[in-house]
Amino acid sequence: MNIPVAPSLHVNHLSVKFGAVQALSSVTLTAPPGEVTAVIGANGAGKSTMMRTIAGLVRPELGDVKYGEIQLTGKSPEEIVQSGISLVPEGRSTIAELSVEENLLLGALRRSSDRRQLLLDEVYALFPILGERNHQRADTLSGGERQQLAIGRALMGDPRVLLLDEPSLGLAPLIVQQILELVRDLALTRRLAVLLVEQNAVTALRIANTAVVLHLGKVVMTGPAAEIGADEQLRHAYLGY
Amino acid sequence: MARTNNFVTRTWGTDQMSRFVDYFLGGVGQGLIIALMALALVLIYRSTRVVNFALVGQAMFTTYIGLTIQDVTGSWWLALFIALGSGALLGLVVQALVLSPMKRADTSGAIIATFGVLIGLQALASMVWGGDPRNYPQPFPDVGFTVGGTTYQFTWYSVVTVVAAVLLVAVLGFIFSKTSLGLAMRASAFNPEVARLSGIRVSRMLTVGWVMAGVVGSFAGVLIAPLTTISPNSFDLLLVFAFTAAVIGGLDSLVGAVGAGIGTGLVLSLVTGYTDSSNAPLIALLLLVVNLIAKPEGIFTHSHARSV
Repeated sequence: MNIPVAPSLHVNHLSVKFGAVQALSSVTLTAPPGEVTAVIGANGAGKSTMMRTIAGLVRPELGDVKYGEIQLTGKSPEEIVQSGISLVPEGRSTIAELSVEENLLLGALRRSSDRRQLLLDEVYALFPILGERNHQRADTLSGGERQQLAIGRALMGDPRVLLLDEPSLGLAPLIVQQILELVRDLALTRRLAVLLVEQNAVTALRIANTAVVLHLGKVVMTGPAAEIGADEQLRHAYLGY
Repeated sequence: MARTNNFVTRTWGTDQMSRFVDYFLGGVGQGLIIALMALALVLIYRSTRVVNFALVGQAMFTTYIGLTIQDVTGSWWLALFIALGSGALLGLVVQALVLSPMKRADTSGAIIATFGVLIGLQALASMVWGGDPRNYPQPFPDVGFTVGGTTYQFTWYSVVTVVAAVLLVAVLGFIFSKTSLGLAMRASAFNPEVARLSGIRVSRMLTVGWVMAGVVGSFAGVLIAPLTTISPNSFDLLLVFAFTAAVIGGLDSLVGAVGAGIGTGLVLSLVTGYTDSSNAPLIALLLLVVNLIAKPEGIFTHSHARSV
């Protein structure tokens, strides 16, 4: 009963405008530790914009993002990473010209070399294929391996919150399932708060605890993932299946 | 033309073989200096997409500072270290001058601004030190080695030039491939967004690049100054050669800059040696044009998207 409770990530009334386009309107959600919170919705719903705003790459017009009591809005992306919030952006963002190991080390440059080695060993234990290919250039990896590398780089920062933007994009269904199951296990075993953005709602809902449905920049529904997956009307209206 | 061309001038050897050896070794020495300046250009270009034409102005200015230190103290080495230090400082100042007001403008605006800084530095140098060319002293006697009765153009100073340039390239290579700083700088250059999301302060890495380039450029300036003379415009040709080498090397490759720098030096030395030293700018232009027609992305490049 006395175990300290890890804080949650709180997105409060977040609004983002690009010129005349309202990309997000007053989005509110919570991602608690140890759980996967899925944000689903069609293309253009504002999912990636929300993730980029949380990571500090986009400035919100209104609202803010907090990790527990820590105010993240207004900090630079570098500072937000230091606060324990790591984003794996859309499109398997690895650096093609660097080796697998260099890509991973990037995530932990600020740490002591002992700590860095420890984190590296952990990532290699999680993704053995990366250990086998540690000296290969990142652009020689397959899509699934590169997604593992991108997640591995984020984990090198030893985050408390993991933001995953469309990890399934362009990957074979079997690999998507493997990666998402691993993400769910990470949330459980490391008490990570995982915020997962997915267009592929079926797979995301299968592993998520809570789901948030985003439509044209607005939250239209929040609830347990299983309930949202079972709501046929909602699926037809917003998820298109 | 003759004055600014001094460093590609070679006198005749005693026979065909020694002549070739002279041109070849001279070309390597010159090529290494061109390589250093090309390296400095690439250091900045790869992370900011700005070709910093002011670099030769910075090198000229810090070489003058070195010369002043020598006039006062008589120490070649002290002059070298102060020149390198002021090279670092000037790199910082030029970055602030060129990039900060240009933050919202495109890179072509910044490139033009580097020309402005170059002209400004040249004007300032002629106000401070005058426009007449001056000699930069050599720390070693200017006598060529004698092997088997033939005296070559290769002197102790040539040895120093080659060793110093090779050492500097090795140190940079070590920093970039083996240290955290180097990894952070490469990541910032290749993919600034992923670098930031990994917690790297990309803007600081850019500044480190400009400072490093300032030091490397100053080093090239001090090394070459004793072989030519120093005047506000005396490194203009070096800019042409270094830019040629940087483009041939692919503009974003450090290895390419070094390789193409040495190659350009060799070609220049051999061709001007067997023809006439005033041909040097023409040859550089020719190399550039042939390269842009045959392999516009450069020989050692990482990216394949550069178009001309």
